[in-house]
Amino acid sequence: MLRQVLTWAAATLIGAILGVASAWAALEFGRAGFTEKFGAWTHSSAAGAADAGPYTRAIVARDGLLALSAREALYFTLSEDENGRPLDESCIYELSGPPLAARWWSVTLYARDNFLVQNNDHAGSIDASRLGLSTAWSVRIAPVRGNTPHWLSSRSAGRDFSLTLRVYNPQREFRLSAESLPTLTTVSCSESS
Amino acid sequence: MTGWGKYVVGALIVAIVAHIVAIHAAPRLRMNIAIERLSADGFNRWTFAERVTPASRQIVRPSPDFAYSACAYDLSEGPVILAAAPWDSYWSLSLYAANSDNFFVVDDREAHYGAEITLVQRGRPHPEGASQVVESPSQRGVALIRRLAPSPETYSAAANVAREDVCASVAGLAG
Repeated sequence: MLRQVLTWAAATLIGAILGVASAWAALEFGRAGFTEKFGAWTHSSAAGAADAGPYTRAIVARDGLLALSAREALYFTLSEDENGRPLDESCIYELSGPPLAARWWSVTLYARDNFLVQNNDHAGSIDASRLGLSTAWSVRIAPVRGNTPHWLSSRSAGRDFSLTLRVYNPQREFRLSAESLPTLTTVSCSESS
Repeated sequence: MTGWGKYVVGALIVAIVAHIVAIHAAPRLRMNIAIERLSADGFNRWTFAERVTPASRQIVRPSPDFAYSACAYDLSEGPVILAAAPWDSYWSLSLYAANSDNFFVVDDREAHYGAEITLVQRGRPHPEGASQVVESPSQRGVALIRRLAPSPETYSAAANVAREDVCASVAGLAG
């Protein structure tokens, strides 16, 4: 009798562990279904999706809790240079973009820990209010400003930093394609890289 | 069923139930944590968030471009009035249910002069004379106002405008 009770308890425990582990795996691998690549940029359509099935909802809650819906904003992330190397503070990059068919946009630089970089340069984000909506634009990404008019500071960002492009109220003309998104070019890297 | 078969079948049934429960519970748990944090000073009131800086470590990949106001709402005592004062750049009011669904959003393109809605729990009677009634699928949830404010100056201006926002129980207002 005792043996039977213990065996049922073990079966229940194993079942519960299997159930929770398979749920975790479903969400982990299910994320890929919400991710698209456009050139070097990764776009997640999970952010802000609503009224979806239970798996979609669970993935959205993990990756985009309280995020805006796609009608309000589109989010793109870039974490590699044009040669597939991780972004590095010891390199200088140029990010150039065409006019973006949207009401407003911004590019923000995040350190490896997914927070704003710990420096006091006040140059962690740049947006359409400074670069305009109707013309092509270019931003220097470097640890020091130099003589560039538009600068994103990578000072103290170390290796593996990333950029997020937010496009607000995208217009109908805005196409989800590599051509409609900014391009990153490596200008130079110091010897230590 | 004899031998180990019944235990294997039992474990599989438990696994399926645990899987379904975990998938359904995950978004609710995350929202509960968010609601708990945002209601630290009480439900049905706006909290204006500090400007995002490199010192901000609460939410990963925070956007430094916005001034955020959040209200954890509770409809247990009846409808709640939500009002967002107009802002001269992009702003939006978004509502999130307890299961994390973004069930309502309005922005300045639709509500140029600000928004005022009466939030009612789904299935409950609508108050008479209310202009725009929105039904919440859950008793509790989160309202978020985002105002585009990419500079310290615009952020200060947004903080002043946010004082005009309303998140209040109709019962409380009547009392």
